[in-house]
Formats: sequence, structure tokens, C-alpha cells
Amino acid sequence: MPVLQLLRPARWLLAVALAASAGQAGAQSAAPNFTRPAAPKPVPVNFKDLPAAFSKPAPTSLADLREMQARVAALVSQVSPAVVAVELGHSSGSGVVITADGLVLTAGHVGSWAGHSVTFLFPTGKTAHGNTIGINEDSDTGLMRITDPGPWPHVGVGELKNAHLGDWALALGNPGGFDAKRSLVVRLGRIIRLMPGVVQTDCAIFPGDSGGPLFDMYGRVIGIHTAIASSTSENFHVPITEFFDTWDDLAGPAVQPPIATPVRAQAYSGLSVVDDAGGCRLSKIEKNSPASKADLRVGDHVLEVDRRRIEVSASFEHWIAESRPGETLQLEIKRGNKTFKVPIKLQTQPGLTK
Amino acid sequence: MKLALLLLTAILARAALAQDEADYPALPPERYRSGQAVLDAFAPISAQTRNSIVELNVDESPVALGAVIDTNGLALTKASELIAGKLTCWLATGEKVEAQLLAVDTEDDVALVRVKAKGLKPIQWAADQAVEGQWVITPCLADTPLAVGIISTLPHRIRPELHAFIGVVFNQYASRPTIEFVMHGFDAEKVGIKAGDIVLAVDGRAVTNSDQVRGILQDFRDGQMVRMRFLRAEKEFEQSIQLMAPKASQQEYDLFGEEGEADLSGDVSLRSGGFDQAIEHDTVLEPWQCGGPLVNLDGKVIGLNIARASRVATYALPATLARQIVIKLKTKAEKP
Repeated sequence: MPVLQLLRPARWLLAVALAASAGQAGAQSAAPNFTRPAAPKPVPVNFKDLPAAFSKPAPTSLADLREMQARVAALVSQVSPAVVAVELGHSSGSGVVITADGLVLTAGHVGSWAGHSVTFLFPTGKTAHGNTIGINEDSDTGLMRITDPGPWPHVGVGELKNAHLGDWALALGNPGGFDAKRSLVVRLGRIIRLMPGVVQTDCAIFPGDSGGPLFDMYGRVIGIHTAIASSTSENFHVPITEFFDTWDDLAGPAVQPPIATPVRAQAYSGLSVVDDAGGCRLSKIEKNSPASKADLRVGDHVLEVDRRRIEVSASFEHWIAESRPGETLQLEIKRGNKTFKVPIKLQTQPGLTK
Repeated sequence: MKLALLLLTAILARAALAQDEADYPALPPERYRSGQAVLDAFAPISAQTRNSIVELNVDESPVALGAVIDTNGLALTKASELIAGKLTCWLATGEKVEAQLLAVDTEDDVALVRVKAKGLKPIQWAADQAVEGQWVITPCLADTPLAVGIISTLPHRIRPELHAFIGVVFNQYASRPTIEFVMHGFDAEKVGIKAGDIVLAVDGRAVTNSDQVRGILQDFRDGQMVRMRFLRAEKEFEQSIQLMAPKASQQEYDLFGEEGEADLSGDVSLRSGGFDQAIEHDTVLEPWQCGGPLVNLDGKVIGLNIARASRVATYALPATLARQIVIKLKTKAEKP
């Protein structure tokens, strides 16, 4: 049984907190004339418009392959301008612009609830600013908006009700994160499974692709990259249908609250954590940080914070994100066979003191 | 930001989904993008190219494919896969012949070998530029290709996969790139760099913060030299320093979650980075399936498969670069 691995930026909870403290400037420009966006409608297509080779169980001749190639290459140049890398605090992923005024679909685990500042990077290297609008964590859907004035390159959305196993699909995104030297990365594959809430393809995707679009052969968005498992044919995408179904969450609160959340200094521990069989493991300790002063070591497991059990790294990140500089947390640490308690005094983020 | 990107590989098991997966009908594997039913359509290309390909073995184990470049049996392959041992080749005819290593280009990891066989057919280089979305075929000795894919990105520089270091740590609170301490065992220590030294320039480019220093150094491979300019006690000086990749014993530098990625990417090539230019394509290959030609729908060679790099990427040196390397290698082979 494959274990699914969500393309979840490890630090996203922390990143959201960072965005909240740094996000005021970006949020102010967005505050005027914010309207709750309407759900997109699938772009109608003429099915006869699809080259016949795509409808065969498999292409059977070089002529078929040339026909497919012409279509795929044309789609790549048609849809690429609308695919973006998104950066939100310390997390990063991909997204796709679906309206001229800059509505961006992404994965729920890349986005956040309303009002966090986001930077969008287009394949040309152009940068735009905006913010998150909403997410639905169960279906892993997310919505963002570019607040800089448009019009923005955009693509239409599709539907899956006419989709079949074997349909060809194109995956775009930024595996490994945005790289100006490389630009977007394009992959071709076929629909392998259609499940409720998930489409599986053999378009190989990778962390950093999260939130990026899966296109049908008409150039419509039919899915958003969400997860992978070990086999290169186990790539999972949130069906576009889930975005329609969860639009009420994605479109944000009915009345947009004043976005400027109070600026709060970000607590800094100087350590990074990952999940492993032993629970929440310290994967990195920065020099001269609260963590190094507490003599924590890479490989230690955090069992408890202030006598509350820590089972996964995300809950530890919650603790840091929700604490304040100057606070002292009591950690219970497991190192080898030893278990001991150690206090860690959080500081302000070094980047903010400059 | 850099580090955050490298931490993207956190795992969240969605057990419910995994359980469901097997309950749903699936496309038969032969109809996958690179399944046999699809590969069959590419048979004419294999017919055209299979006599231009050799399969290299070291001590009877397959290590790489090779691309035949002339009728006298010269062939290109991936250098770093040619470990010490007896070099032989399988041909499309089913014969096994001896081969000899003539010259190596370490910059881009290409080797020139002589295959002891007559009547091999040289590959034909493609003249036109590759475009994103175009089919790419990795032919082998068989009637159908090993695998197919599309061009994922146009040629670009590929950074070294193994981070190499000069061995200094910067003071993260200093506004200028100030060395906080010099690590034991790396070259900075050997050439006398000291804590407190400030970096002014790297590889001829002026720098004002430590991120810029790191940004420039990450394009350097293990073993390469970099020229740096320093300020110490108000005096400027220049120094060449060699970059070194940490050895296995120094793997506490494993900040990059590499163990996590390995599971998701399958086997990757021993050397999978540090190329001047490479086309990135999405063909899934095993490391030993690199070294041979990457062809278009005309059977013309658009690149030389040089590395399986990750779950999403196989690299091919573009034809223009590969042809320049051929000239270099032939000159090298003539002057022993």
C-alpha cells in the first residue's frame, strides 16, 4: 500500500505566521474595492476539435504522434504565461491565474485563510503582489488574488464529467521551487485513476509543484497538484470540481474584515523539525540561536512542549508560531535512550532586527 | 528562502486515500504515457536508430548506453558510469564486442569510446531547435524505445547536485559578508582564511552580503577553484580556494532532506548536476540507461542523455554542446 506524501511545504504553518506579521503593507493596497469573487465556470469546448490520436487507446503511428506533438507544444505556449510560482512567508509552491483581474487557484496547503501577503512570480520573471483569499483544508483547495493592477495572463477552467481513464494531460509547475534560469517545467501524462476528490496521473510532479495546474488537451485547468507517492505514476491532483464545491470557503468571508491584523513580532527558535517514525525530529539547528544555546542537537526528538504531547512536527511549529519572543518553553527531549527537560528562550527573528 | 524550498518534502500520510486507491479502476500500465502500447507507435524510430546505439557493460553488467558518431566505431557515453573493469558492448545485431575508453570530458561528464565493430551507423544530429512539449525518444537496441517523454524546459545550466563548500560560516547578524568561523578540514582553513575576514568579491563579482556569496558558490562543483577577494585589517587580498563536498562522515550537513527525496525519485545518476547546458525532459530512465542519444520524431539526435536527476527530470546535453565536446574529445584522444 503506497503511503501518500502530500507536497506540503514543511514550514507552512510558520510561514503563515510570518506573513501575518509582515503582511500589513501588502494588505493595505488590497483593502479597497475588494469583492467576493464569483466561482469560475467551465469553458465549453468542441470535442470534435481534439485531434483523433488523443482519443485512441494509444497512438498507433508516427502521424498520430506528430498530431499529438503539435497540440501539446501549442498548449504549452498558450497556457504557460498564466502559471505562477507563489511565495508566502517561508513556503513556496505553484498556482494558476484564471481571471484577467488576477484570481489564482492553488492548493490548500500552499495557501491560507484570507489576508496573508503573497508574491507571485511569472515565468517571464515578472513579480506581482497580492494576498490569500481562502482555503478548504479537507479538499486541499486554495484561492489567492493578485492585487497589483492587471490585466494578467490567464487560462480557463475545465470539468471532469467528460474525463476518461487514459485522457492525456499536461502538468505545469515549479518542482523544487521557482528558478529564474529554468522557468516552468512541463510534463505529459495520462489519467490513471479518477477517484472522489483525487485524480491520479503519470505526469511526474515533485515538491514545489504543489498548487500548479493540470491541463486537459483543450488547455483548461482540470486539476491542481496536491500529493505524490513513491512510484512515478502516483501523482495526485485535486479535481477542478472540488474548487466549485468548496468555493464558499475559498471566496473568503462574506464581508471582508479589515485585513491589517495587529503586527506581532515573530518568535524565533532557530530549529527546523521533520516528522519521522520517532515523531517530531530536529532536522536543523542554526548557530547562535535559542536552540543552539539550549544545547539541542540534530536528531533529538521533541516529546513535549510545556507538558503537552507533541506527535507531529506541525504541532511543534504551531507552538513556535503562536509564541512570542522572550517566552520560555519547557521542552521534553528524547536523545537516544535518554529523556530530559530543557528550557528554550525564544528570540525575535534575526532578519527583523537588522 | 533557499532552505525553505529544500524542506518541502514533509510527509503527511492520507491513509484513507491510500486505502481507497486500489478500489478504483485504473488505466492498464501498458497504456501509460511510456507504456508498451504507446511505445509501439515509436517503432519506426527505433528501426532507424538502433544500429547507432551500443549498450556498454563493465564486467558484464550494463552501465550505460552509447551513441555511435562515426563508421569506425567511435561512440559517446556518460563518463562517470564507466567504472574500472572490462569494457564491452552489446550491439543491435546481438553481437558482443570489446570497447576501449579513449578520452573523458569531466566538465560535462562525456566519454569517447572506441567500439571494436565495423558497419555501425552514425547518429544523425538534428538541425532544428528543441521546443517545450515536443516528444523525445530514448531508443535502445530493441524494436521499441526504452522510454519516451516530452521536453520539460529548454536548455539551461544545471547546478552541481552535491553542494560543495569552501568551509566558512558567515555571521548572520553582520551586514557585510563577514566570516564568523572557518571550518576544520576544508580549503579555506588550509589557505589561511580567518574569522573576521570580509568577502568583497567572488569569481570576479562584487558581493555585499553572504546570500550573494552563497548564490555564486552554488554553481561550483566539488574540486573546482574559485578566486575570492577579502578584506582583513583594512587590507585587501585575493585568494584561490578549492571547493569540497562534505564526505559521508560529515553528513550532519544533511540539511537538505535528501533522504526523503530519494524515495520519491527512484535511482538517480551518480553524477546528476554541474552541466554547462542541458535540456530537461520528463522521460523516466534508470541511471544505466543514460549516455545514449535522445531523438525527435524524425529519429534525429537533439541531445545526449547525461543524467537521471530526480523524479521529474532527466537531463540531456543539447546537440550543439555535444558536438563541441566531440571535437574536444577527438583532439584529446589524438594527443595521449
